[in-house]
Amino acid sequence: MPVVDIDTDELRGLTGEEKSDEEFKEDLFALGLECEGETEEGLLRFEFGPDRLDRLSVEGVARSLRYQYGADRGVYVPETNDADWTVEVDPSVPDERPYVTGAVVRGVDLDEAGLDSLIQLQEKLHATMGRGRAKGAIGVHDLTMLKGQALDEESETSGTIDAASADLRATEKTIAYRGVEPDGDRFVPLDADAAMTPADVLSDHPTGGTYADLVEGLERYPAIYDELGLFSFPPVINGKRTEVATDSRDLFVELTGTDQWTIDRMCAVLCYALSARGGTVEEVRIDYRDGATFPDEYGPDLLRPDLEVDEKSVAHDRIETMLGVELDRDEVVDLFERSGLDAAYAPRGDGAETDSAEGGEAETVYDVEIPPYRVDVLHPLDLVDDVGRAYGFDELEPTYPDIGTIGGRHERSRLERAVRASLVGLGFEDTLNFHMTSPAENYDRMRIAERDPGDDLAGAPLGAEPRAGIASPYSEEYTQLRTWALPSLVQVLENNTHRAYPQDLAEVGFVAWRDDGETTRVAERRRVAGVLARTDATYEDAKARVRAVCDDFDADLETPATEHPSFIPGRVARVVIDGEPAGVVGELHPEVLVERDMEVPAAAFEFSLSALR
Amino acid sequence: MRLPQARVALLEAASATDARTVEQLASDTDRKPETVTRAAFALRDEGLVDVAERVEESASLTDEGETYRDEGLPEVRLYRAAREAGDGDPVPMGEAVDAAGLEGPAVDIALANYARKGYGVVDAGEVTADPDADPDADPETAALDALAADESVDDADVLDRLESRGLVELNERTVRSVTLTDAGVTALMEGVEAAETVDRLTPELLTSGEWADVEFAEYNVEADAPAVEGGREHVLRGMAERVKDVLVGMGFREMEGPHADADFWINDCLFMPQDHPARTHWDRFALDVPPAADLPEGLVDRVEAAHRDGVGDDGDGYHSPWSEEFARAVALRGHTTSLSMRYLSGYADADLEPPKRYFSVEKAYRNDTLDSTHLLEFFQIEGWVMAEDLSVRDLMGTFEEFYRQFGIEEIRFKPHYNPYTEPSFELFGEHPETGEEIEIGNSGMFREEVLSPLGVDCDVMAWGLALERLAMLTTGAEDIRDLHGTLADLEFLRSAEVTY
Repeated sequence: MPVVDIDTDELRGLTGEEKSDEEFKEDLFALGLECEGETEEGLLRFEFGPDRLDRLSVEGVARSLRYQYGADRGVYVPETNDADWTVEVDPSVPDERPYVTGAVVRGVDLDEAGLDSLIQLQEKLHATMGRGRAKGAIGVHDLTMLKGQALDEESETSGTIDAASADLRATEKTIAYRGVEPDGDRFVPLDADAAMTPADVLSDHPTGGTYADLVEGLERYPAIYDELGLFSFPPVINGKRTEVATDSRDLFVELTGTDQWTIDRMCAVLCYALSARGGTVEEVRIDYRDGATFPDEYGPDLLRPDLEVDEKSVAHDRIETMLGVELDRDEVVDLFERSGLDAAYAPRGDGAETDSAEGGEAETVYDVEIPPYRVDVLHPLDLVDDVGRAYGFDELEPTYPDIGTIGGRHERSRLERAVRASLVGLGFEDTLNFHMTSPAENYDRMRIAERDPGDDLAGAPLGAEPRAGIASPYSEEYTQLRTWALPSLVQVLENNTHRAYPQDLAEVGFVAWRDDGETTRVAERRRVAGVLARTDATYEDAKARVRAVCDDFDADLETPATEHPSFIPGRVARVVIDGEPAGVVGELHPEVLVERDMEVPAAAFEFSLSALR
Repeated sequence: MRLPQARVALLEAASATDARTVEQLASDTDRKPETVTRAAFALRDEGLVDVAERVEESASLTDEGETYRDEGLPEVRLYRAAREAGDGDPVPMGEAVDAAGLEGPAVDIALANYARKGYGVVDAGEVTADPDADPDADPETAALDALAADESVDDADVLDRLESRGLVELNERTVRSVTLTDAGVTALMEGVEAAETVDRLTPELLTSGEWADVEFAEYNVEADAPAVEGGREHVLRGMAERVKDVLVGMGFREMEGPHADADFWINDCLFMPQDHPARTHWDRFALDVPPAADLPEGLVDRVEAAHRDGVGDDGDGYHSPWSEEFARAVALRGHTTSLSMRYLSGYADADLEPPKRYFSVEKAYRNDTLDSTHLLEFFQIEGWVMAEDLSVRDLMGTFEEFYRQFGIEEIRFKPHYNPYTEPSFELFGEHPETGEEIEIGNSGMFREEVLSPLGVDCDVMAWGLALERLAMLTTGAEDIRDLHGTLADLEFLRSAEVTY
């Protein structure tokens, strides 16, 4: 879950509320932000669900609090001034990172805390919506350090541009988003003293190493140029020339990524935060018309930031049934406004004309306006949740639903319980072991060799089935599913040699192996396994117990001689239940025991649970 | 009449005219006083003897009393030494004390009692012995000797004095004495035989009927018995069974399904975008097997459409890539909600009509570090209710009822976010022992983007929690690794308290 670090002095300034830290903690808990403690810098750290990404900075959190306190109501959209800058997208931009967006924000009041907050917001947006900068990456620059190239005459008069868009295009300054060859240019990146090529950055700069895999293998790297040259190497690092400091007032924000909608939303969240710092947002033109890949749903010629208000409809009835309470329509509108949304209601459907203020046959539907920073609203139901939070879920009285259904367990679950009871009755300690294990435990230490996938398993010793392995295991001890249960029981014996004997252990449990004939490519089975470790354990002891279990389930047992490397030759048999091969029973091989520092013999068995059906 | 041997002996040793104490009878019959007492009460219950009880005071020597009886009371020793050295004249104190062989506290004791008992005068550092005093007639010495010989001392003042000097302990004890009743005398005259004493009840005794005539040798029933290790159901399994009982009782039906499953069922059906951080290889256990076969075609299309475009007129999709190939990858399920998807879609069983309640208590897998509260494998309790027009209040009421069965009252519902439910709530409850507020589950109403592709057009509320968490709450276990897995400590499993 995301965390946000909050300076409560900042919160007091931004909300205009002189509250104590404790009061803020309580108010924020009600919003779903849980205080996790203090950071080394003395900020309060809050954790919250990854839906409200607009709360990744103190400005967004303050905005939510202002709605909660009633200081703000309804939707707020910052005013924007007309574009002065254009970002021209060049066809050389790598296909893997085709999209760009941006904004200019002027007159921002950045003190130390404000700058820290801006950096934090960038990092958090990268980690969440930006998917570790792969989907969207942000660069913020000091605008005064940029020099715009005047548009050249040729493109200005190009016949492909109609009059209206030519007018639109009349911004004064341009910068360019384009591709650069790994060694194609040089710039001084942040936290460096010398000019480096993009390739140098990836190999020699600490930040470059962290993000190298995002551009690895590209023929050309993404790069942003102004008249003076390369100043940003997204998604890796900005140039030093345009570094933002506390005295920066006018900012240029650029975002590049793999999805236009995503970077536009990240940009909106940033603009709201900077606007809360006194900034005035100014549009930037994004021009894809020079043959670059452009986002189909928006076209090649964009004005950004996109601060459009979205609209969704939600029925009054749906709100009432979901919350289980009756609500007055004006109350619902009030709840929407307290959530930072705007809502107006209108009757819909049959009888709309005869609808009265008290409500009639027609369904009341709210048209709800949603501000652009609310990236979490995908469906009208999300708006019902907002109403519920504003109403206070705590206020709802729980009810037990008056619904009749018939309960019950499935057959295997009942069978497992019955077999377990039978084993416990025979004196076995019921164990519960991990399904994950390693080839060493599952095969090697049991003296068996794993078969290859696709091998005919007829005649293979129980347990030799090919493994279903974990693709990226965390630990060497857990790299595959166990193909049989007996190794787990022997491991428990190994870990308890200091405990009192006899140790009679059993498990009714899951095993699995690779089987491409299954739809999931994994065969999953249940087994009944037991081991008797005691000074006088013999084959007969194990067989007697297998027989007892079979008798309990009215199953016929035969034990023809067989060979199995885990057992002593001549003292091992197949377990054949009702004429079907089901497993193995015998005295464990001394090598298996000595390998585990055991000083008592052990007899063991394992067979299919389904054989007892 | 046949009686057990101890009773026969007692009857024979007792007298009709002379009340005899249990101690006397014990020494006469060569049995332990406890045995005689038990036999006496048994015979009294049969009306053969009377048992009278009186309380007797007795005195016994303390260790210090024993010492003085052997070595002489310190004041007496001082007197003898002073008499010898001075023959009636004052003797320097140090000389007398040395001659008497007194040291430490015995010196003070000697001096404190010397004058009181008229042995002479202690003055100005000198001891004078009164030639008329007779140390051989010292009543306290005599009393010590008498008590050591088990004789009684009648002079209460002397006894009190000795007790206050810490030389004698006064005790009260109950003395029981036994007298034959008339019936007892008659029985004796008619003849009383001793029954045979046996060690074990044997099949022969039972079948021959001889058991009625034998006496069973008495055991020390308070002695320790050897430890017995019976088989036991695993404590966590027991907890799972209890949860299943509760849910079946609440009308829930059990689900089953694959542990290794296509990501489609584990994540895509749950409206988890394919680029969601939880779907990276760090959090899930992808398996090294080929992609799953046979995903239900229509369902795959509907799920893809929900991801891309959302559901309903006003629905939005994710701006994330989606491919069927990615959905076919096989992994160990990270939650058992994959089973819920299989059942709700009708793929696992038949198409479901509301109302329905389903549950499972099955393993789920998390690629995480192993510690005292986290395992790579855990049991997830999963449950859902499908019905028309369910409200958040129904959800709250259902889960409150469930937790109440485990002694957890007062559930708090904290609004939360899950990609697949809305509204969503984290459930918090009070630890029954520590009173601490802890997270006990996650719940919500399935989103329409989840239900609509599955073909469900009513409401479904769902919740999940780790069984281990519930078990740790109710058993007080502190390290989950003691419970679950091959590192299990047999001693812990053998001694864990049974829950029910």
